[in-house]
Amino acid sequence: MKLKVGKELHEVGPHIEINRTSKVIMQDVVIAMIPALLGSIYFFGINSLILVLAAVTTCVLSEYIWQKIRKEQLTVSDWSAVVTGMLIAFNVPSTTPIWAVMIASVFAIIIVKQFYGGIGSNFANPALMGRALLLFLWPASISNYVTSYHAGTDAISSATVLGLYRTGNEITQFSKWDMFIGNIPGCLGETSALLLLIGFAYLCYRRVVNLATTGAYILTVLIMTFVFSQDGLFQGDILTNLLSGGLILGACFMMTDYASVAPRVKVTLAIIAGLVTAGIRIWGMLPEGVSYGILVANCLSGLIETIIRPHIYGVKIKKQK
Amino acid sequence: MKHYFHGGIHPADGTDKLLSNQKPIRIYRPKIVEISMKQSPGSVCEAIVKKGDRVSRGDLIGEPKRFGGANIHASISGMVIDVRIDSVSFSQDIEIVVIEADDKEEPEYPTGDYEERLLDLSDYSKDMIIAKMKDGGLTGLGGAGFPTYIKYETKEKISHVLINAAECEPYLTCDHMLMLEHSYAIINGVLLLVKASGAEKALICLEDNKQDAAQVMERIISDKDLPIEIKILPTRYPQGGERQLVEATLGMEVPAGQLPASIGVIINNVGTAKALADIVLGDRPLISRLVTVTGKVKDQGNYLVPIGTRYSELIGASGGFTADISRVIEGGPMTGTCLQIGGSHEELTGSISKVTSGLLVLEDEQKDETPCIRCGECERVCPAGLAPFKIDFAAIENDISLCDKLYATECISCGCCSYVCPAKRELAYRITEAKKEIFKLRWESNK
Repeated sequence: MKLKVGKELHEVGPHIEINRTSKVIMQDVVIAMIPALLGSIYFFGINSLILVLAAVTTCVLSEYIWQKIRKEQLTVSDWSAVVTGMLIAFNVPSTTPIWAVMIASVFAIIIVKQFYGGIGSNFANPALMGRALLLFLWPASISNYVTSYHAGTDAISSATVLGLYRTGNEITQFSKWDMFIGNIPGCLGETSALLLLIGFAYLCYRRVVNLATTGAYILTVLIMTFVFSQDGLFQGDILTNLLSGGLILGACFMMTDYASVAPRVKVTLAIIAGLVTAGIRIWGMLPEGVSYGILVANCLSGLIETIIRPHIYGVKIKKQK
Repeated sequence: MKHYFHGGIHPADGTDKLLSNQKPIRIYRPKIVEISMKQSPGSVCEAIVKKGDRVSRGDLIGEPKRFGGANIHASISGMVIDVRIDSVSFSQDIEIVVIEADDKEEPEYPTGDYEERLLDLSDYSKDMIIAKMKDGGLTGLGGAGFPTYIKYETKEKISHVLINAAECEPYLTCDHMLMLEHSYAIINGVLLLVKASGAEKALICLEDNKQDAAQVMERIISDKDLPIEIKILPTRYPQGGERQLVEATLGMEVPAGQLPASIGVIINNVGTAKALADIVLGDRPLISRLVTVTGKVKDQGNYLVPIGTRYSELIGASGGFTADISRVIEGGPMTGTCLQIGGSHEELTGSISKVTSGLLVLEDEQKDETPCIRCGECERVCPAGLAPFKIDFAAIENDISLCDKLYATECISCGCCSYVCPAKRELAYRITEAKKEIFKLRWESNK
């Protein structure tokens, strides 16, 4: 088969196209994360900004250098590395050392993204893989959660709300309102449900994502944690589960990642991710299971796609009439 | 019960059609016509006139070389000044008959009764109508150009005739204007199609952006007990795709690899119905058609032109290009073919065929393909339910058997996938090429 390439392709149809590029989509995602970024600077101080900048710079540079060395088509201007960098920083607490964030960034871009073929070909979410790497190699580096500056006192070490909840503590020091606006200890981008949802609403408005995947993921986690709670069946604390961990960040910005979640079966995958996340939260060793839940779904993506066949027009239709 | 077809898009923004919409049909008479002996894909005719012959309008000038073709007639009266081989055509030798009009002005065909009222068609039998379709060189006027008589010679029992008036391609308005100005001829033509098929009923299918046309036709058929129903569908591309129209109106799917006739449906374009009325009731073969000339030209409009009118002349009559670098497209912007990029309209070669529904001039825009980001938009909009991005990868790797496994053969080449792709990948092009390759291989292995 002889295909036209490069310039010759210019004359093939269709001759009109949607006014949207990959770059615009990535920029929209970055815009959607800005409220949460500003919130994290407000709650956790300038350290948040430094970590975000370090991660973004490392991501962009590693992609650029890799593509230069390999003499590949330069795609670094498509802003996807910026998204990955921001997500990596969003997934660690503000006390994380800069070197750890940079290592996670290099790992995410080079090994998870470029090794598998660059943008669109990564099998798992690069930012979550970066976080998983740190969690394996230097768990201490990203486990130092602090209460936010605006909790009334100076920053002091604290377990996350979810950690407290998990160990059976009564959550008294943080109100539900604090959890909603983000005035709680946690990873720097995950705490503010309010600001994340503002960003997510923007993404929905721009039709970058739709509600189905995010909704399916959140609902599955909430139903599971409500039904099989540590306090007995149907005793779970829905609001704490919803607002205190990385659930909203994961559901809005990582479950909706294009490359690692097969688009046709994304709702099914979201439910699987929800089951795994809830399973870890309820029965697992860790208090939080969002990142592993999504990574498991990423890995199952191809399999699920093979199991759930698409309906092709006119193929295998039932006998009519 | 309401049905929808799967996938689809809202291309452009709906203002594209306003350029030429509601502009009355204008008649354009060229001095010279160049009639190609290939009027539609897959049917090549042999010229039966030679240089120096005099032909009258409506004379037979080309006969099909083999089964599956349709007659070609002279579209103006005059001298045959040349019969030449088309140099730009693909692999076969295709003759072009060039006719120069006589000096004297040719009168228009008289307006027949069938343009003004519903006629009593009881004298016309199925065989008679089909014979006239064949003689009159009637082909589908929607885009594929399949000879109409072949559709009606089917052995299957036909229950429905669908009249495709969706005109879902952006920019095109000629079917819309046809329905507004020739509604009686259309209804008479539809009644002939019903007789020719033996169907219970005909459905005239329009999109809801043509409410005025629907009302005009509704008024004609109201309380007359005709086997015709007007069906208004929500505007969505590719509604007018044959298979999609069946899904959207009857809720059935045409089995893969078979014709709609296999489930008792025949689909014809609304222009074809009008042309059939002209052939049977107006006694003239298919020698002219409506063409929407639109986009970046000075004076957009809907023209009635003889088959063989040169593109350059018709664009010239519309005032020429207004774009800096223009891209000229035959047909609609989604499925049409690119004729020329840049240059002036005088440089255009080629002429109007039976399937040319529009001449569209767009501002040419450069675009570069970037890697697929797997957003899944192409899969979501694909009316056939395919995963275009996967077939695209397979086609680039030249893995034809994988393309086949991914059902590339079921692609209808509507272009939705390429339209929505944010990475600007030429999905539709490569899938269509893969599809051709699969059919070629199958054909070779059957030999």
